[in-house]
Formats: sequence, C-alpha cells, structure tokens
Amino acid sequence: MSQTKTKRSVTINPGMLCQPIGAMQAVLGVHAAIPLVHGSQGCAAYPMRMFNRHFAEPAEIALSSLGEDAAVFGGADNLVKGVHALTARRHPELIGVITTCLSETIGDDVDGILRKVDLPVSLVPMHTPSYVGSHVTGYDNAVKALVTHLAEQTGPNSKINVTVGLLDPGDIRELKSMLGMMRVKAIILTDITGAFDAPLILPRPSFPDGGTTVGEIRDTANSIGSIALSKHAGGAAVKYLEMKHKVPMIAGACPIGVENTDAFLDNVSELTGRPVPVELRQNRGRLIDAIIDVQFKVAQKKVAIFADPDVASGMARFVHELGMDPVIVATGTESKEFVKDVQAIASQTGHEIEIIPGCDLYELHEAIKRIGVDLLMGNTHGKVIAGDEKIAFARLGFPVYDRVGYQRIPIIGYNGGINLVDRIANAILDHADAA
Amino acid sequence: MPLTLLECDVPIPEREKHTYIKKSGETIIPRCNAQTTPGDLTERGCTYAGCMGVVGGPVKDVIHLVHGPIGCAYYTWGGGRRQNLSDNTGFHRKYCFSTSMQEANIIFGGEKKLYNAILEAYERFPEVKGVFVYATCVIGLIGDDIDKVCKNASKEIGIPVIAFSCEGFRGVSQSLGHHIANDTIFEKIVGTKEPDYLTPYDINIIGDYNIQGDLWVINPLFEAMGLRIIGTFTGNASIDDIAMVHRAKLNVMHCQRSTPYICQLMEEKYNLPYMPVSLFGIEQTSKALRDVAAFFGLEEKAEKVIEEEVAKTLPEIEYYKEKLTGKRVFIYQGAPRAWHWIKLMEELGMEVIGAATTFGHSDDYEKIIERIGDGALVIDNPNSVELKEILIKYKPDLFISGLKEKFLSYKLGVPFVNGHSYERGPYAAYSGFVKFAKDMYTTINHPAWKLVEGRA
Repeated sequence: MSQTKTKRSVTINPGMLCQPIGAMQAVLGVHAAIPLVHGSQGCAAYPMRMFNRHFAEPAEIALSSLGEDAAVFGGADNLVKGVHALTARRHPELIGVITTCLSETIGDDVDGILRKVDLPVSLVPMHTPSYVGSHVTGYDNAVKALVTHLAEQTGPNSKINVTVGLLDPGDIRELKSMLGMMRVKAIILTDITGAFDAPLILPRPSFPDGGTTVGEIRDTANSIGSIALSKHAGGAAVKYLEMKHKVPMIAGACPIGVENTDAFLDNVSELTGRPVPVELRQNRGRLIDAIIDVQFKVAQKKVAIFADPDVASGMARFVHELGMDPVIVATGTESKEFVKDVQAIASQTGHEIEIIPGCDLYELHEAIKRIGVDLLMGNTHGKVIAGDEKIAFARLGFPVYDRVGYQRIPIIGYNGGINLVDRIANAILDHADAA
Repeated sequence: MPLTLLECDVPIPEREKHTYIKKSGETIIPRCNAQTTPGDLTERGCTYAGCMGVVGGPVKDVIHLVHGPIGCAYYTWGGGRRQNLSDNTGFHRKYCFSTSMQEANIIFGGEKKLYNAILEAYERFPEVKGVFVYATCVIGLIGDDIDKVCKNASKEIGIPVIAFSCEGFRGVSQSLGHHIANDTIFEKIVGTKEPDYLTPYDINIIGDYNIQGDLWVINPLFEAMGLRIIGTFTGNASIDDIAMVHRAKLNVMHCQRSTPYICQLMEEKYNLPYMPVSLFGIEQTSKALRDVAAFFGLEEKAEKVIEEEVAKTLPEIEYYKEKLTGKRVFIYQGAPRAWHWIKLMEELGMEVIGAATTFGHSDDYEKIIERIGDGALVIDNPNSVELKEILIKYKPDLFISGLKEKFLSYKLGVPFVNGHSYERGPYAAYSGFVKFAKDMYTTINHPAWKLVEGRA
C-alpha cells in the first residue's frame, strides 16, 4: 500500500473539471430549474457543450454575462437583471445562482444581492469558485445549498433521501428500480433523468418531465433518513440534514459490485424496515453468476482505475470481487477520505494498491508505465493512454463521448455490476483479438 | 416594421434591435457585437475561447498552456478526431496543459507557478517549437504579469514563449479573442523566420482551421494551379511556418471574421495584399480560384483545375439538388459561414429562411442581408429560447448550427447538420460540397423522423 502525489506546477491532461459544472449538473436535476452562471460567457457555453457531448441532450444554462465593466465595478447589476430576465422569460421554479472564479474574485456578495430580490422563484446561491476543489466538490456544494435554502420541517413523510452524486441517468433509473422493488419511497437529489435522458416526443414540454421537485427538496427535512451514494458528491447535504433537521445519514461506499450493493440495500432496509425482496436477491445471484462465468477471462489481470472518488473506490472493491488486481486507484479530486477508503479496501483484500488522489492523466500514465497494467478503466481521455501502452480499456465515468450510450448504462446495483462484468471482460477480449 | 420582437422576447424588449426581417431596399443592420443580456440563455463563448479555442489552439507544434483554474483548459482539450485536424497527432490536441490555479495562487499571485509550469512542460516535451500561454478571467483580476514571465521563461528554455491576454470577460464574445490572437501572433511570431527560398507564386491560406480536414481539400486546388503555400493560419500550422508568412505574395483569406486583422497588419507592414474568398460550393470555390489565378496570371491553369473538379462533382451535386430543391433552411453559425453558405444553398435549390450569427459584426450582417431573400429572419446572438421559438414557428426542413444547438433541434424534431465541426466532412471546396449536400439530404430524409410521436 503506497501513496503518491507528484508536486508539479503544470497539470497535464487534467483529471478534474472546475466546480461550476458540478453545480450545474445538480441544478439540472431539479424539475423546472435553470442554473444561472455568475461569470463570463465561456463559464456557461463550455459546460453546456460538455453536457451535450456526454449525455447527447440539450442543456439550458443561463448567464449573468459579466464583462469588463463588471470586473471593475462588480456584478450586482448583472445578477439582478439576470434573475429578473430569466424569470420573466422562462418562469422557472428554481434558479441556482452559480459563482465562478470571476465573480468570487471580484467579491460580489451574491447571497446579499439575492436576498433583496423579490421574485416568484426559489433563488439558491451556490458558491463554486473554480480555483477551489473540483467538479465533485461543486456538485457537493450545490446539493448542500439546495437543502440549506429549501429544506423545512413540516411533519414526517416516511421517505428516504438519496443523494446520487455525479452518476448517470442510467444509474438513477437503476436506483429507482431497486427502491421500487423494496417498495421504498425516496427523494432523489438530484434526478437528472428528466433533463438528460428525455424522450423525443412532440410537442416538447417547456421543461423536461421528471427531475426532483422543489417541493421534494423542501420535504427532505422530514425524511426518515438519508443515504449518500457518493459521499464526496452529496455527502455535505446529508450531513447538513442530520445536523439541522435530525435526519439520520449514511454515507457508505458507492453501490458498485456485490458487497457495496449489499451494504447499500442493508442500509435502506435498516432505515425503512423494508426487507430486501427476492427479485433483488435473484439479481444478486445473476451478478455472481456472471462473475464466475468470466473468471478465467479476467482473473489476476492488473487494473488501473481512474474516476471520481466514490466511483473509483467502489470499482476498486468490485474488481477485487472479480478476482482482478486493482494496482492503481486514482482520482482527479484531492481527498483524504478517498485515500482512507481505498486504504481500507487494500488492507481488507490484501492488494498492493497505488492510491493517487489529485491525479492528472500524465501522472496516471507514468504510474501505469512503472507498474504495468492489463486494463485501464476511465473516461474518454484514458483512451490515449491505453493506446500508447497497448492495454485494454473499459470506459467509465464522465465524460465519455468517444462512444455512445454510456450515460444510459447503469454501473450501480447488481444489474449495473452485470453490465460492468460484460464491459470489463469484453474489453479484455477485444484487446486480445486486436493484438 | 423591419425589426421584430419574438414572442419569447417580450420581457427583454432590447432583443428587438437584434432581430430583423429582411426587406429589399432598406439599409437596416441588426444590433450586433454587443454585450449579451444578463440572464440570457446564451450560446456564445468567451474571449479565451476565440483566442485559444479557435485561433491559437490549432497550431500543432507548441505547448498550449492555459493559465488559470482547471476548467478553461479542460474544456478546450482534445476535440476528438473531428476538429482542427493536424498531422502531428502524437502531440497536438492529445495533451492539455494548465497551471490549475488554486486559492493560494489567487491570493499570492500565480507568476511563479506559471514560470515553473512552462519549464516543467517543456522539460517533458522538449521537441515542441514554442509555448503559447493563455490568460483566463482570474489572471486579469489578480494582475499577473504574464508577458514578463513568458519573456523570462523564453530566455531560459530558448524557444518562443508567447503570452495571450485573452481573459474571458474582455469583449462581448469570442470575437475579441480572435483579434487578440491575430495581434499577438503578428507582433511576436510573424517575420521572425525567413523561408529557404522564395517563388513568384507563394501564398498563405489565412483563416482556415482545418475542420475535419478542410485544408486538405483546399490546399491541393491552389497547388494544382502552380502556387506554393508558405503558411496556413492556423489549421495544421507550425509556428515556424507562421513565422515566415510575411514573405508570401498574397494572403488568401477564408474566415473573414477571425482573420482580417492579421491580413491588414501584414498589408500595412509588409505591403502584402490579401484577397477575401469563399471556398464553399462550386460557384464560390471556382470564383475564388479564378480571382487568385488572375492575381498571378495563372488563368489557364485555374480553368483546367476548375474543369476537372466540376466534372467530378457536378453530377453528384445535381443528384442532391433534385432531392433538396425547395427545402427551407435556417443557418446559425459563428459569423461568416452564415453568408458563405447562402449561395451554396442556392446552388442546391434550397431556400434560406433565416440566418443568425454568434459573434458577427455589422459587415457580416451586411453580407447576410445582401444575399438573403425578402422575408427571411436575421437574428444576432440568438439564445436557446429564441431558437426554440424560431424552429417551432418557422418549421425549417433543416437547421444548420453547432453542437450546443444540435440536441435542441433534434428534440424539436428538426433535422440538423453541425456546421461548426461538421458531421461527415470536410465540407469545403468541391468534394466537401458533395459531403455537405449528402449530410443535409441524409438528415432531412432520415426515416426515423416519420416515427416521432406528434411530428406532423
């Protein structure tokens, strides 16, 4: 078990994006909500394009349009005009006001400015300076801002809150399916299936159907418990709900693979008193069947995993369950928690794992060259490393835009595990065929 | 009532100034090149995008180092195999460099980090011929002297290190970024090297970014006429070639929004004339070749090239013309393609019912309005709400725009071709025109449109 972190001034092929895009994704999971970016034009246009590429969907993102005047005199005027214009035009139920390096450095008092605005819309300030954290912390901050501004105690509701983090629409569909089988009612924070997995049916509604409603976010204070699927992205919100509204929280491992999914379902059971039904136990059996079927195709293969912290640590345990050897587990976000999580997996499973938080792909590539790896799992940008090193490559995480459909394919739960088994085994087989 | 207010713009009446219905005999230009309205659902990019993403980024053999927090670098990374192609794929667009500024750097300044980053990047990629450093929003606010840092770093590593002050909040769109890139490259690179030899037939292709290989169908046409291309600006360009472009006899200018600046600067300083051309469609490409040929006295050679190319492409174009005649198209591009393509659509018998640009200036709109038919809508910097209204109200058979509008168009049941980075391009010149026509035909006639619930 070792830990590396190269101290370099230059980042080469980054492993993270900046905070605002994470916040935008969180807001777009709320029904009839629009993110308003308090920054310059690229701060809206670039994330929009990234969503377009990964999800193959449109994304509606507004901008306060800060120019040179605002850089000198402050952006308050732009912000006030912006929320008014956006409200008059689109009638959203919620506007997530997302700060950037520009507005944070100018020093606009966004909370104070918004407090003075009187509009029939929930205005939620989200502080996401681009020079702090990553897209993961941006998402975390945004979901926390949603519950901080909206959650209110009105009486118990017999639901659980589930924060999903930066997972895909396919994962959220799988989550809903599992909870449905358990007959558990849940508030999902936030549900991007509406915005990012919408049907082509005309006429198109003004806002996509689905998404977490503002009412549901208010109601999170009354739930019987909260579970964070990704503790780095959503963990802050469930912590807040526990402290402020006494909603007990669980932030365990992301439910990827057998044991992580077992633990998740046990947690749901414990909070709700609902048993894990036979259908889910059958899905579990199918996953294990799939794992056993591919054992000689994948066992002992050395794997490098590169993803957001909770997906990476979840995958690390899963590849162990597959009989594979997780030799590198890396994430672009700086996190001591991540290191601790993967260290625990290493000591429980006996694997020697190089753990790399705050990693860029240059460092990952160096580690792969040094250690020797059979399979790399990571986003689209991992392809060039796999190509250079002539190793198998299985896509995972965000963004994936050099292949289609990954946003629809769940990786969580037992069914997600089956998809991953197939993906991993086929990547290794395709690679062997190509060699 | 030439200017018009879309329904969705009732709460933002200033948008009326940007929205014009063409009427012959009038001389009205919609308001343009102005700050985006706060709260707008804009499709525009920033000054950094124009400087790094459009003009600087295609240079294939320099380190493009983005000085700022990580996002700005990440978003301009790669671009896949489709955009700004170069023949240096082992390096160009494969790597993304950033100083990834953190909070402490914002407080205490980022000059030292930038200096170290330049040296570290060069140490790892010593084969590069230069380093381009791009300042993002926050750099302008904290006041890093990037010029000084770049000068010092250049002394240390012995290759050009060029600072671009292209902070995103400057200007109103990508457009200022183009200008900054032009000025900076002219001032710091052009004229710093000399070609081994000169010929009377040396040209540059200015303002083409080799989208999906446009230049690889454009350049051979000029070469077949007996011309030599010294440099391209900036598709598939080497910094060394750009350093020698001042010795050409003529600048052939394709993108007339992002590069007139450097053409004018070269004309002033080196007495090097430039010629604006359109290299889209048969008619315009043939005219461009004839105009350039006339400059050099190569008319006969040009006619031979044109004859051969037209013979190859015309039968296919006739085929698509038959299929596409009468189809109504709405074009929304950065700027010049909105008018380059009006003529091209006419060649296919199509009707342009509307045209829009993201960052056009009044000269772009003059050209659009001169070419477009009466009753057509001309709108500046449209946002997604306006686009939705236009697509529903005008029901074009085809929308040509960029990736950010693609999925909106699909979701509204409107066939779509990506005119920014293309679908199955390249789209330039003769062979590209056939590909463009084929893509338009493909989407308009896609069988799945008939299956969409609720689509008349």
